[in-house]
Amino acid sequence: MIINHPLLGPRDATEFVYLGDASMIERPNGFGEDVADAMYEYVYLRDNPAGEHRELWYHEQGDRSWLVVTRNTLTHEITEVALARDVARSKGRSK
Amino acid sequence: MADITLIAAPVLGGFNHEFSNCTLAERSDIALISVAVPRDGDTALSTKLDTAWTLTMPTPSTTTQANGMRAIPLTADQFLLAFHPDTNRTEVSVQDDLAEVGYTTVQTDAWVILELSGEGATSALERICPLDLAPDAFPTGSAARTVMEHLGAMIVRVDNTRFWLMSARSSAMSFLHAVETSCRWTAS
Amino acid sequence: MNQPNRVDGGQIDRATTLKFQFNERWLTAHPGDTLASALLANGVRLVGRSFKYHRPRGIFSAGSEEPNALVQLHKGAALEPNTRATTVEVFDGLYATSQNHRGSLEHDFLAVNDLLSPLLSAGFYYKTFMWPRAFWEKVYEPVIRSAAGLGRLSGKPDPDEYDHGYLHCDVLIIGAGPAGLAAALAAGRAGARVILADEDFRMGGRLNGETYDVGGIAGADWARSAVTELTSMNNVRMMARTTVYGAYDHGIYGALERMTDHRADSGDKPRHVLWRVYSKRAILCAGATERSMAFGNNDRPGVMLAGAVRTYVNRFGVAPGRKVAVFTNNNDGLRTADDLRAKGVDISAVIDARKGEFVVNTTGRKGLKSVQLNTGRKIETDCLAVSGGWSPNVHLSSHHRGRPTWREDIAGFVPGGELPPGMTVVGAAAGTLTLASTLSEAHETATRIAMDLGKSRATGEAPKARDEDFSTAPIWHINEGKNRAWVDLQNDVTTKDVTQSHREGFRSVEHLKRYTTLGMATDQGKTSNMLGLAVMAEASGKTIPETGTTIFRPPYSPVPIGAFAGRARGKNFRPTRLTPSHAWASESGASFVETGAWLRAEWYTRPGEKGWRDSVDREVKATRTAVGICDVTTLGKIDIQGRDAAEFLNKIYANAFLKLPVGKVRYGLMLREDGTVYDDGTTARLSDTHFVMTTTTANAVLVFRNLEFARQCLWPDLDVHLISTTDAWAQFSVAGPKSRALMQKVVDDLDLSNDAFPFMSCAACTVFGGTSARLFRISFSGELAYEIAVPARYGDAMIRAMMAAGEEFNLTPYGTEALGVMRIEKGHVAGNELNGQTDARMIGLDKMVSRKKDFIGAALLDRPEQTREDGLQLVGLRPVDANVNLTAGAHFLSPGDPEDMAHDQGWMTSVAYSPELGHSIGLGFLKRGRDRHGETLRSFSPIRGQDVMVEVCSPHHIDPEGERQRG
Repeated sequence: MIINHPLLGPRDATEFVYLGDASMIERPNGFGEDVADAMYEYVYLRDNPAGEHRELWYHEQGDRSWLVVTRNTLTHEITEVALARDVARSKGRSK
Repeated sequence: MADITLIAAPVLGGFNHEFSNCTLAERSDIALISVAVPRDGDTALSTKLDTAWTLTMPTPSTTTQANGMRAIPLTADQFLLAFHPDTNRTEVSVQDDLAEVGYTTVQTDAWVILELSGEGATSALERICPLDLAPDAFPTGSAARTVMEHLGAMIVRVDNTRFWLMSARSSAMSFLHAVETSCRWTAS
Repeated sequence: MNQPNRVDGGQIDRATTLKFQFNERWLTAHPGDTLASALLANGVRLVGRSFKYHRPRGIFSAGSEEPNALVQLHKGAALEPNTRATTVEVFDGLYATSQNHRGSLEHDFLAVNDLLSPLLSAGFYYKTFMWPRAFWEKVYEPVIRSAAGLGRLSGKPDPDEYDHGYLHCDVLIIGAGPAGLAAALAAGRAGARVILADEDFRMGGRLNGETYDVGGIAGADWARSAVTELTSMNNVRMMARTTVYGAYDHGIYGALERMTDHRADSGDKPRHVLWRVYSKRAILCAGATERSMAFGNNDRPGVMLAGAVRTYVNRFGVAPGRKVAVFTNNNDGLRTADDLRAKGVDISAVIDARKGEFVVNTTGRKGLKSVQLNTGRKIETDCLAVSGGWSPNVHLSSHHRGRPTWREDIAGFVPGGELPPGMTVVGAAAGTLTLASTLSEAHETATRIAMDLGKSRATGEAPKARDEDFSTAPIWHINEGKNRAWVDLQNDVTTKDVTQSHREGFRSVEHLKRYTTLGMATDQGKTSNMLGLAVMAEASGKTIPETGTTIFRPPYSPVPIGAFAGRARGKNFRPTRLTPSHAWASESGASFVETGAWLRAEWYTRPGEKGWRDSVDREVKATRTAVGICDVTTLGKIDIQGRDAAEFLNKIYANAFLKLPVGKVRYGLMLREDGTVYDDGTTARLSDTHFVMTTTTANAVLVFRNLEFARQCLWPDLDVHLISTTDAWAQFSVAGPKSRALMQKVVDDLDLSNDAFPFMSCAACTVFGGTSARLFRISFSGELAYEIAVPARYGDAMIRAMMAAGEEFNLTPYGTEALGVMRIEKGHVAGNELNGQTDARMIGLDKMVSRKKDFIGAALLDRPEQTREDGLQLVGLRPVDANVNLTAGAHFLSPGDPEDMAHDQGWMTSVAYSPELGHSIGLGFLKRGRDRHGETLRSFSPIRGQDVMVEVCSPHHIDPEGERQRG
């Protein structure tokens, strides 16, 4: 596969490491009362769609960017690639 | 222990070999300092690079060069400064120059640098480098990190037929073997 | 007579004569010959024996689709079985032998199988060899395996080299026949970067085998001029002898280039290069493959595809027979007679199936003698050229599951469904079976694709030619006569096998294929799939499109496993990482152990030491009584800088890091989000904004990845930056009561007294009069210890200087084994304990885990399994009988309990012999272990056959109060 890196252009998927569902970005606060349920969902529950999937890829043999790649799991068509840092910020993550 | 002084040794013993259509040599005369750009600190850092060496920040895939200083992109917010150290410009002096505007780390010893030059360089690289090195796709000054023979590597086109190939120092022997095999197998 | 079957013409170099051997017989050939054309030129008709029935077989085709003429090339280790004689280029000295016969090719004892054929039909072994059950593995299978099959492997390591490579282009053109050449000319002239690949050594495809005109000259001459023009373009890469074998995602194609197979001497260059081709667009110009018809005894040597007969006579100047008969269901086949007559070859008959005339049987066991027609006519002939029509080579078009669609007018499947993105199919592969249409289609398609890619230079006119008459009738199976009619020559599948499997209920094509093995040989049924489908359609009374088609998967034709492996063989299987002291260690008697990619010294053998234990015991004793040195460069080192670096570490580690003072080191415990221990190590604070983290050797890369994840995805606005410095510093652990004295000698101007530089201190310093260094007072062995780091370029000088400086203290190098012994003595956990199931409670570090902050792993610390009362806890173990050596992996049982999982109390994780204590010691996990010190248990290992009594104790076997390391 080829991933069109937002900063570097098309790069072979062999340069990347796959993590999984991009919902891993949306980590709930892990401190305080009643966080266990939210964290349980975050750690253990994933969708496994046959079709469009937003997923995390790490450009380990490259610029070390984490990317959010929108990929069709049936055809491998990739329709969008974004820097995970930008996605994280758009979800309200900061410090 | 004044009677003992430590002598630096190039990791490949200064390897240098001419093949029929390219030359492969270890460059052990280059100092490397990584510079991380502090958050919201781009302006201060680029101003400092400009005043110190009239150097501009590299782009994600292009190096910049001025006054014997070359900036090579590493990550979205980090680059390497590569230079030939002398009495006026040392690892320490460059780190001092940037102390207020960037986070620096000496990287000289983290890498091995192989210089591959000659007309046959791109044919040799075809066997190990997955990147498109055609002159319009990867013109002089381009830099990219990729993987060659299972090793993380950086490739810089310093001239039309001259490349720097950089990889981790600890696996320098394996990296040399990979590049050298490519040179040998594509030699005429 | 020399080459008795040579006729005029052909694209061979008659001025040069090559000598080669077939079955120990010296024969001659010319450059440009394949082994098949050379054998035919020499009158060799019988070249092999069939897979199952050991029937005599000859050359059937003239290309990579060949099912019959499989031979072994070369001798000794280089022996290569199952090579298609039709694709092997002859060179001087080529050595080839036939295969799959016992005794000689002419007198194969296993030909008896042919007489047993009623027993050997589809599924015969499932039915026949059912009883007695035990016979299957011991008798039936070995006998069947040795009787059936192909060539033999040499059994020796492959002496050849193989390489990989990467190519990039705008347009990849697959196949250099008329379509491929026309497409390449157009795309090349437009200015696109083109790769033109063809499996043949001579580009031109069918143009080389036919007598068509293109642009007013002979097709083969036009092909040669097109190749000349393309070769002169520097934006076109011409790749003959290159098979594009697979279509992968996003325009990536796999291609195998045969570099040296056609040479007697490889010149120490790789035999094959497996290319990964990155293309923006691809044009599939793979042409079509001719198929046969099924009639009685249609497998005899001398029965050949009509197009192949034309190829031999036109391209190679070889007449495959003296008196040739033609049997065809289409007009293309009729050309064969004209082409042969033009070369002066006798035509014994032209049998046009469309006129109701069929071949029903043949004679001639080792070479065709006659054919029998349904009309009762018998024709003497030594070669029958058969054409059952042409099947478009759709293979690569279906590699992404696109299902071919049926076209009635050409009686064939054409590419259908979703093609691989970026692929266009033109010419015969797309069902355009005539020349002029193919050329213009290819030209126009390539011009349009080049335009799409922004290349708009003029591409000129499409080459001119005539569209030949190509009318065909779907006649497949000559159902007259009682003799066996072959569908799949390579796997010996007959029409009876197909109809029988249909009778037995195998209705799906995919089931038929697997039950009969139709199309599953190394030729993947290129000449037989269509025929099999037609026979099945006939049996089921359905149409061919209703019956369906199988889809194709890579590779298009066989690719040697060696080519996939490339250079990754032996010691080059993966990269090796060497520590800075490696050369010195090699000189000093070290044995090395692989830890990941690293080679680390495991112990240093001294003269007189009889085994590794002698060396390890000595190293441990020396370190504990004087001073030892160990290269610890392999531990991951990560430079962490930024205004928020402390805040970041506080989120990463389970223990507190915000207030770590500058100049201090702290042990850090890293958890996974589910609360399991992930990694541990020490982190030093060099300034307010600068930390150096160490990780375990094994997890260095993974920890770095996780830190980047945390930095970019979880807390994207922290000012924190990471860079690996693992390779940048040569780091040595210096441990033992005399380590301070030694370090005082080595380090310049730094007060190392316990007050000035206590346990868990760190400092930047210089050593040996000015070399920059970092000094850490940390201890894994439990002794007074330091770690000293110098830039890696000084690593070799440093170990030599340290050894010189340490001579007066009896400085002893120690390896990973001694390191392991000392950490077990000290009760430090390592990989054996941190196995991905361990949490902080189990290793007694729960008090260290902060309850006042969020960090990775904070939320799930108190799951029921982790808080159960009888949870596993780290303990020390020692044998009740001091002479017993403990066994790692043994399980603990209370005395008297049965040996089952219900009574399992835990297990031994690590064991070592402690030279200081004089007996074996262990670490282990034991239920409620911390409360059970002093208890006696069974340590039971049924795998190792050990059942001994052990006493539970503190994991800190030595210096439990830590006085040594703090002293």
